[in-house]
Amino acid sequence: MPQELIASTLHDNHTKIELVRSVDKTLTGKIVDEKNNALPGVSVVVKGTTTGTTANTDGNFSLTVNDAAQILTFSFIGYTSQDVTIGNQTTFSVTLLPSNEELTEVVVVGYGTQSAATVTGAVSNVQAKDLIRTPSIGTSDALVGRVQGITARKADARPGASTTIQIRNLGTPLYVIDGVPSDAGNFNNLGQNDIESISILKDASAAIYGLRAANGVVLVTTKRGKAGDGPARINISGYYGLQNFTRYPKPANAYQHMRGLVESDVNQGRTPTIAPAELAKWKAGTEKGYQSFDYYKMVMRPNVPQYSLNANVSGGTEKVNYFLSVGHLNQDALIEDFKFKRTNVQANIESNITKRLKVGAQISARIEDRFQTGVPGLDDYFNPFLSIFTMWPTERPYANDNPKYINQTHNVNVNPATYKKEITGTISEINRVVKGNFYAEYDFAFGLKAKGTYSYQFLNFDFDGFEYTYDAYTYDAANDAYNVVAGGGNQNPWRERRKRNIVDRFAQFQLNYSKQLGDHEISAVAAYEQSDNVNTYLVVHTVPPNNYIPLMSFANQDLLIDEWSTEARAGYVGRVNYNYKQKYLIEGVGRYDGSFLYAPGKRFGFFPGVSAGWRISEEDFFKGKLDNIFSNLKIRASYGRTGSDRLNNANNDFLVAPFSYLPGYNFLQGSAIFNGTYNIGVRPRGLPITTLSWITNISTNVGIDFGLLDGKLSGQFDVFARKREGLPAARYDVLLPSEVGYSLPNENLNSDVNRGMEGVLTYKSSIGQIDYTFSANATLSRRKDLDFYKPRFGNSYNEYRDSFVNRVGNINWGYQVVGQFQSMQEIESHTVNNDEQGNRTQLPGDFIYKDVNGDGIINNLDERPIGYAEGANPYLSFAFNGSVAYKGFSLFFDFAGASLQSFQRNFEMKIPYQNNGTSPDYILEDRWHREDPYDPNSNWISGTYPAIRKDNSSHVNFRKSDFWITNVKYIRLRNIELGYNFDQKIFKKIGSNGLRIYVNASNLFSIDNVKKYGIDPEISSGNALVYPQQRLFNAGFNITF
Amino acid sequence: MPRFTKHIILIFTILILSGCAEEWLDRKPQNIILEEQIWNDSKLITGLLANYYDRLPAHTTLNTGWAEFAAYDEAMWSNNDDGRNNIVSYPFDRWRLWDYGLIRDINLAIENIETFGTSLSATQKGQFSAELRFLRAFVYFELVKRMGGVPLVTKQLIYDFNGNPAYLQQARNKEEEVYDFIATELDAIKNQLGNGGSNTRANKFTAMALKSRAMLYAASIAKYNSKMATPISTPGAEVGIPAARANDYYTKSLAASEEIINSGSYQLYKTNPNLGENFYDAITKKSANPEIILAQDFLVSKDKRHSFTYDNIARNVREDNLSSSSITPSLNLVEDYEYLDGTPGELKNRTANNTDYIYYTNPQDIFANKDARLYGTIIYPGTSFRGIPVQIQAGVKLWNATSGTFQNVESNVLGSNYEDGGLLTGSSGPQRSQTEVTNSGFYLRKYVDQTAMSSTRGIRSDMWWVRFRLGEIYLNASEAALELGKTADALKYVNIVRERAGFGAGSLKALTIERLQNERRVELAFEDHRVWDLKRWRIAHEVWNGNASNPDAVIYALYPYRVVRPGHATHGKYVFDKLVAPRFRAPRFFQMGNYYSSIEQIVIDNNPKIVRNPFH
Repeated sequence: MPQELIASTLHDNHTKIELVRSVDKTLTGKIVDEKNNALPGVSVVVKGTTTGTTANTDGNFSLTVNDAAQILTFSFIGYTSQDVTIGNQTTFSVTLLPSNEELTEVVVVGYGTQSAATVTGAVSNVQAKDLIRTPSIGTSDALVGRVQGITARKADARPGASTTIQIRNLGTPLYVIDGVPSDAGNFNNLGQNDIESISILKDASAAIYGLRAANGVVLVTTKRGKAGDGPARINISGYYGLQNFTRYPKPANAYQHMRGLVESDVNQGRTPTIAPAELAKWKAGTEKGYQSFDYYKMVMRPNVPQYSLNANVSGGTEKVNYFLSVGHLNQDALIEDFKFKRTNVQANIESNITKRLKVGAQISARIEDRFQTGVPGLDDYFNPFLSIFTMWPTERPYANDNPKYINQTHNVNVNPATYKKEITGTISEINRVVKGNFYAEYDFAFGLKAKGTYSYQFLNFDFDGFEYTYDAYTYDAANDAYNVVAGGGNQNPWRERRKRNIVDRFAQFQLNYSKQLGDHEISAVAAYEQSDNVNTYLVVHTVPPNNYIPLMSFANQDLLIDEWSTEARAGYVGRVNYNYKQKYLIEGVGRYDGSFLYAPGKRFGFFPGVSAGWRISEEDFFKGKLDNIFSNLKIRASYGRTGSDRLNNANNDFLVAPFSYLPGYNFLQGSAIFNGTYNIGVRPRGLPITTLSWITNISTNVGIDFGLLDGKLSGQFDVFARKREGLPAARYDVLLPSEVGYSLPNENLNSDVNRGMEGVLTYKSSIGQIDYTFSANATLSRRKDLDFYKPRFGNSYNEYRDSFVNRVGNINWGYQVVGQFQSMQEIESHTVNNDEQGNRTQLPGDFIYKDVNGDGIINNLDERPIGYAEGANPYLSFAFNGSVAYKGFSLFFDFAGASLQSFQRNFEMKIPYQNNGTSPDYILEDRWHREDPYDPNSNWISGTYPAIRKDNSSHVNFRKSDFWITNVKYIRLRNIELGYNFDQKIFKKIGSNGLRIYVNASNLFSIDNVKKYGIDPEISSGNALVYPQQRLFNAGFNITF
Repeated sequence: MPRFTKHIILIFTILILSGCAEEWLDRKPQNIILEEQIWNDSKLITGLLANYYDRLPAHTTLNTGWAEFAAYDEAMWSNNDDGRNNIVSYPFDRWRLWDYGLIRDINLAIENIETFGTSLSATQKGQFSAELRFLRAFVYFELVKRMGGVPLVTKQLIYDFNGNPAYLQQARNKEEEVYDFIATELDAIKNQLGNGGSNTRANKFTAMALKSRAMLYAASIAKYNSKMATPISTPGAEVGIPAARANDYYTKSLAASEEIINSGSYQLYKTNPNLGENFYDAITKKSANPEIILAQDFLVSKDKRHSFTYDNIARNVREDNLSSSSITPSLNLVEDYEYLDGTPGELKNRTANNTDYIYYTNPQDIFANKDARLYGTIIYPGTSFRGIPVQIQAGVKLWNATSGTFQNVESNVLGSNYEDGGLLTGSSGPQRSQTEVTNSGFYLRKYVDQTAMSSTRGIRSDMWWVRFRLGEIYLNASEAALELGKTADALKYVNIVRERAGFGAGSLKALTIERLQNERRVELAFEDHRVWDLKRWRIAHEVWNGNASNPDAVIYALYPYRVVRPGHATHGKYVFDKLVAPRFRAPRFFQMGNYYSSIEQIVIDNNPKIVRNPFH
């Protein structure tokens, strides 16, 4: 039916000419799977063209091709593609075999790709379909629990925030997006639908990234069209969901609050200022003026929306392939007027200019928009949380409950009535990022390819804050008047703009060679690359004269900050892979890498890595004997050295401040007013640091990959260690007198090691038409200090307490609580001085500390290890994922959990009436107290928490002890999703290839040991004044044309 | 193109690229000045001085350390956290200072200005050097008053990286040697200093003011340390000064003080006819103030500012909402301000036989006829700040006719009214258990800025911090003269200071050291003198002996109440309760080991010649 073809290619003159010249023929056929069941949806394409079709529900296809067509390609997700030569055939019967995904999968590695079968390093891979399964804000959120080796913690889940991930707990990894080194911010804000795959290099395979590879590398590949994809394929997907907090502690009610104050006074030997009659009114809570107010309810809204929408189009011909995508994500906070939204654009295009020369570009852009009300103070998210525990339940947000008048509460700064953009002002933070990668590749046909890449990224950050003044009132009931409180409300006008510009440049020249000579397969990569980054930051602040005009004027300006920083790097890269019959595998990588951080002549170092694999299942002795047990068996080992010029601290600081190798004087250091005139300070720099170099990391890994039961059960297991040598420390046996006024620069002296293991087991099978997959993975990794430069200890206790030599890192020291005093008599007869003040400050219910050294007094000598690191990623992470599919239905679930981490309750979570506020209800309820709060002689009633004493934060009860430290364990259902794929027949009529709809829920429940504190198990802020994870109920769709 | 040529091009390209690598990494920083640039540019040298002045150590100033005002007996802490109200004993490392970083930077500058300052005139060089040496003397004084004798390093100590820096070790100098060094240096440079008329950079009289204070410290240590039952000393005299040197030091101090007084370059501030306000102005007025010799100045418009006012302003006057009321003066200090008739300052709240309250018509009446410096220093009930009354009332005293006693009614709500419609608890407290409101019944006035908006976080304050003023010099002179037996001079100088406080001419006819000690306490309160004075007089361990029954070691509060006794003559009058401040938890305890702070172990490790201080 030639007419049809002409119609579809009407605008293509070239094709028309061919049509005139050639004769068409119609091919038909049926495609089945290995069980001889019809396979619908298989794509049938004439190789090298856009001519193609899709098999119908019975697996049949019919395609008209021109006579010149030679080969048909049959492909379908989950099955191995097959090429069939057309020849003289017109009917085809094709059997597609399921792909053994773990082996045929192509894995992106540093500077290239490899087939999963021949990978020798510890490399994990996550594909697009698994990434978009969880509705995530940051890319890292989608990785949680997905692969072994990734540890995660989302300590702050405010809109737009993402999970902190590490590879094997090694520290902040390097992120490489489409071959260009980047950072966590860029990684997390990628469009989720634009990612093709993510690879994680965990061992020596990262060495190819040299000085930045110490903590592992996350490689991202964005989607692109493929030659032969055929005509434009349009995909639209989206979801809409409602968020609620998982957990947040509830504040005390007014009666609990007032009763606690009475108890506090009596417990501290004072006469309560609250009379019994008054307390009774609060207890009743009915009389006007004695009603409890719930500030939690006021601050936190339920059912807040989050939604996402993405549209993309991709296609490919012999000459050009493309992927264009636009996506938008919107997440509102549970606090009103706090919002996050992000728009991503990705345009990847590649063109074959000649048979040998290919050029392409990957252009991405995004806008991240964070909007908050402008609450005075540092972090606008903090105050609403603070309100919940700082506002008294006895006071009202509005004077006389009249919403026109903000009540001048005891601390009006945290009165939630003010958290409205019309009242307190706004803060807007916008990141605008645009990045272009441009490349050209020439194929020399004999196995060599040369490629040049240039990348330029511009990031602009605009902070725009305008905080208003406002009045607050008191209500005068006698005169029914609302009186402005002089100096009340907020009289602190604030206007600030900040601008950060970052330009990242990257250039790379790369040679790739690969050749198969009989059973020998060799491939090699050589590259040179250089990159830099210039970061400028400008802050201007004014005291605005009114609340109306946001334009700033010089007359009102009182602050200007101008900052500049830079980074530059260059490196030579090489990799060689060799395998024999895909059985014996060996890989060598190396990088001669340089960093601007060090003095001239000391900037470059060489970082090699080597790995080898043995696919035992390919051996002849294996075949026919063991392969009915093992479908696949490979053992791997790797060893490599990488560098690191950053410390693994919270800010990821450089080992040494940039330009420390230079002498001279720093400008803008302090200042003084001389005779009314401002003078900028100048300060001598310290000794130039030229001896300190990078940390050297030695990474070793041994792993095994296996498939059992016909490949139904597959797994991977790795044992690893990363030793760091040359951690900075001072050479303190050179005792430089303190009186010289400077100290010796740090040198590369100390060492530590991270050791651990990780594994994954996947079972994939089917019962009848039910396909299912279950997968479990876990990672254990802990740091241990090894050598310290000539440790010195004054005595054996000091050695016990302060030594780091050969000890696990981040030991958490504190007191051990062995009980609570049950009575005053017990306190009086207690022979140990529990509070260092002869127990005169103790009451029944107070903690009895263990006198570990038996000296009769509790002091820091009695501290013992009671926990793990606080705020760090947990040492042990585990996950359990599953999917079940039946006909069009699919069910996914993902559990993730962790253990071996510590949380210390502090401030609001520990000290009653912290900062003159209130407390969580359980602290004021479940406490030691007297039967009659007003009678100091009445009987004590026991509780979990000590007797309430307001404003006594230095009390011995509040020392760090195992009562306040919790070693958190949890497992949570991160995500569960039920989806349905509609029958294609229905949608064919409207031109659609498929529609999937789904509902899912995030964080439905968690099994953990911090529920009694009302906190989410992943937070790290001791006072819990932080945005915890949300529970999200969600519905979404995905439609393809 | 033949395949071979392509290879050549490739290899060539790589080589070109790689040649650039080292150059590519060579970046130029934007904030570093070079040796040759700085030493021939007097503006940059002034910038260096600005940095050094800014780094001068101090125990308490308005931008750092001021919270320690609440750690002794001048005040207590009424903001959140109770650490300063619960100091069980002062740790031995309190006041520790071993800051040779600044000494090194000064020595470096003194040396480099000679080496590199090729285009500066000899006068310019001399003047800069003199100012640098003044700063060095200042730092050594800060060191010696905390640590005793320290190594006198007057040249850069440069390590040659030979692996053995033992040649850089210097032993501690004797305590007296450090004081002598300060005196000699100041005398040597005073005439080269220039900066005449400046009260923010050192001039001749600034040098003499430092000398006046330093020599007085040395003299009193010489005298009073020796009078202790067991004088504090080390065999090498690193701490302790022989009694024999007392007179010499007193003489030097007096001479330095008199050089300032007699120069006529400075006068006590006496501009405001309201004596209370005048005393506040004397310290806080930054223009036309002839009393200030050296101050650390701030300037809001240039973002050189601090939050002292934000943190310490009285509760109901505050303009911002997150802080206030931190430093709240003690009743102890309030009572040390005498009555103008010369009688002791104890407040009369009860009748002589202690059977009943004394009833006052207005809350401020109990403070009538007191030393004007009380008003200038402290906000007490019935007074105002920035023209707004500071409402200080704890509650009402309700007469219970049945029991014949008063019953206290207090509220948790500041500014609340009693059921009779009158005030119950003041909008500025006091409150027994709340924070950010006074617990002692008083607020600080001295150094709290009157400028509108200066207590907001966005604006803050540029109130200056006075390092030396003439009022102190008069008291230094008086003390030195008294100790030297020149009683007439001593009386002359102290009476000049008292006259400004409203006492009338020649109010004191006789003088003892105790009387002078009290005079310093009330004149110089909150100016970083109290703890150092008690230390040099060697009475700190007696005044703050850690005994809960010692009134000097405990912080007291004054709570005013309105009497509710309808129909009775006392109805509506005000009465006052004296009490231990409710949030105060541990009596002040100063041990013998506190007279000289402990030297950090690492300092001794680094230089075995450093001798430990006693008791550590």
